[in-house]
Amino acid sequence: MRNVARGTAIALGVVLAACGGGSSPGSSATTNSYQGKTIQFGAILSLTGAGGVYGPSSKKGMDLAVETINKAGGVNGAKLALTTDDDASDKAQSAQVAQQLIQGGQLMALLGPTLSNSAVAVHPLAESFKIPILAVSTTGIHIVPDCNYPNATPCRFVFRDSLGEQTAIPINIMVYAAKAHPKTGVLMVANDDKFSSDGGKIVAATVAQYGITLLDTVEFSKTTADFATPVTRAVQKHPDVIFITSLGGIPAKIMIEARKQGFTGQFLGGNGFNTAVVSRQAGDSGKGAESGSAWYLNNTFASNADFVKAYRAKYGSDPDQFAAQGYAGILILADAAKRANLTFTDLAGDRTRLKDAMETVNINTPLGRFQFTSAHDVKQTVWVIAMDGNGGFTLVQSVNAS
Amino acid sequence: MAQQLLNAIFIGSIYALFAVGYTLVFGVLDVLNLAHSAVFMLGAVIAYSLVALHGAPFWLAVILAVLACGLLGLVIEYVALRPLRRRQAPPISALISTIGLALIFVALVEQATSGSLFSWLWQDGANSVRFPSGTVPNPTLHLAGLTIEGTKLGILVTTIILMLVLGSVIRFTQVGRALRAVAENRKAATLLGIDVDRIFASTLFISSALGGLAGILFGIAISDISPYIGRDQVELKGLAVIVLGGMGSIPGAVTGGYLLGLIEVLAFVRFGSNIAAGVAFAALFVMLIVRPQGLFGTRLRERL
Repeated sequence: MRNVARGTAIALGVVLAACGGGSSPGSSATTNSYQGKTIQFGAILSLTGAGGVYGPSSKKGMDLAVETINKAGGVNGAKLALTTDDDASDKAQSAQVAQQLIQGGQLMALLGPTLSNSAVAVHPLAESFKIPILAVSTTGIHIVPDCNYPNATPCRFVFRDSLGEQTAIPINIMVYAAKAHPKTGVLMVANDDKFSSDGGKIVAATVAQYGITLLDTVEFSKTTADFATPVTRAVQKHPDVIFITSLGGIPAKIMIEARKQGFTGQFLGGNGFNTAVVSRQAGDSGKGAESGSAWYLNNTFASNADFVKAYRAKYGSDPDQFAAQGYAGILILADAAKRANLTFTDLAGDRTRLKDAMETVNINTPLGRFQFTSAHDVKQTVWVIAMDGNGGFTLVQSVNAS
Repeated sequence: MAQQLLNAIFIGSIYALFAVGYTLVFGVLDVLNLAHSAVFMLGAVIAYSLVALHGAPFWLAVILAVLACGLLGLVIEYVALRPLRRRQAPPISALISTIGLALIFVALVEQATSGSLFSWLWQDGANSVRFPSGTVPNPTLHLAGLTIEGTKLGILVTTIILMLVLGSVIRFTQVGRALRAVAENRKAATLLGIDVDRIFASTLFISSALGGLAGILFGIAISDISPYIGRDQVELKGLAVIVLGGMGSIPGAVTGGYLLGLIEVLAFVRFGSNIAAGVAFAALFVMLIVRPQGLFGTRLRERL
């Protein structure tokens, strides 16, 4: 009888152990202790170089989220730690930084890189090392799910919380066409940067359905010193709209030059417009320039007011879209980590568990209620915003995700 | 087309002014000073910070920034060039050490944000800014379909005046004669009692002051001031200009500057941007094959 009891106890123990080891990722109950542990994330951001207009904002948003979560007790008692490295807006350096972060530490997940141009080097790397990577500002084509484009196999470890230009640009054009009925446009596009040239392709593919004729496509290098020459070519066509798909300070420089040369029409653009730095640099010349944004300062989503308040308290300025996306990125990873039943001993397993948990994220963020699509992409409200001439933006219209 | 030719003249002026600094140092010291692009950037940055952060009037900011750039020229001479010259290091060492100094200057600016050690100089990190509107009056003339900006016209006039002044200084003054003597033959100049080290220092001061001024003018005309304007926008162009014009030749640098501006703009209008940069450098290549000494270069060391 005692033997039977002992045998039953052993069998029960084995069953329990098996259950523990195989507990379904994404379930809200965790059995492993997180107390006293540290969950480490690494961010690859462009803090200098052309993307230096955007990366510092992302970093501020991320740092704020880490601080807020840790102050509130962390993730099931574990602290969050974030290592941020600068890729200087350079694709090769971005891949190198990613490699160091992946192999050098105990990182559970990566965030970034800032630029789509760098993502095509970094994301396949993360995929091959099986470490989840969450893009917080890349908006180009073929970021998710086909990070190994032209190979169409979906990447399993690559996610993004940044609104793709394939959604934002057509909505921006649709909203402007509906109210102003422009007939002609000229596209100005940087041809040596993935983000910019992708944006150009989207504009070119979209305008016809709104009755806009593209009179010319003016390509230029992102290292052009003086934009007078390409702008002259665009302005002399007398278009109703100049579409600008470029990043860094370039959209602002083009707007300033075009206004000097007497252009009085409309500027429409992409994600490159959506930061306070560009709006401030463009100043009066940029007033009224419209773009589709993933976020708007005064949106009424549940967690946005808290985010804006905390951001102002910490940095003494208003956040922008990139800060909101960086902040949301950490919230998403923290929520996934909370539910992933991390072991803190099996790094490879933890990364996979975290990835699985990310697929079922469903939380409030400043970007709205957040869930990934099956392609690991974002589906959210698009805010068409206009530069206000003083470094800020005003809301033109919001369009719900279809 | 007429507007594009005007564009070519304006950007050519900036290339010329920048390249003159390059060529002056090369002519006298036989060294390519690759920190020149960083000094160009610092000229714009210092003038901007004096106006935007410290409320200085523009004219004062220009004077102080140009002087500061001149002093940076002395830093280049004393830190990057003179110690190597003393050890009779090959010219390539001096070239590398000036690259190092340029990297340091750029890094100092791009790391400077509000609250950092250098926030008195720059608070915008990697971002691009422009002079507050109204800093320089910019009456814009719309004439027969052409747009002529006051600031750009000012740059053209400034460049021409400066070139004439520099040319006269080199041709007619004692310092100019000493400069030419050192450029011609360093040893002979020393034997004639010329203080070569002092001439080197003066050359660096003048060329860096000119480089800084070019940076300020660029900042005004192009509305773009960032840690990268030297490195990304003018460094390689400046090298192309002095090869076109003739290494070490000041009239060559001026002509080369306008020529490069013209080639770039014409190539852009005719072929588009994909080919424009290639066309400019193809012209360079042709020049190197047909006339390696450049337009105004001489086979002998009769420089400046």
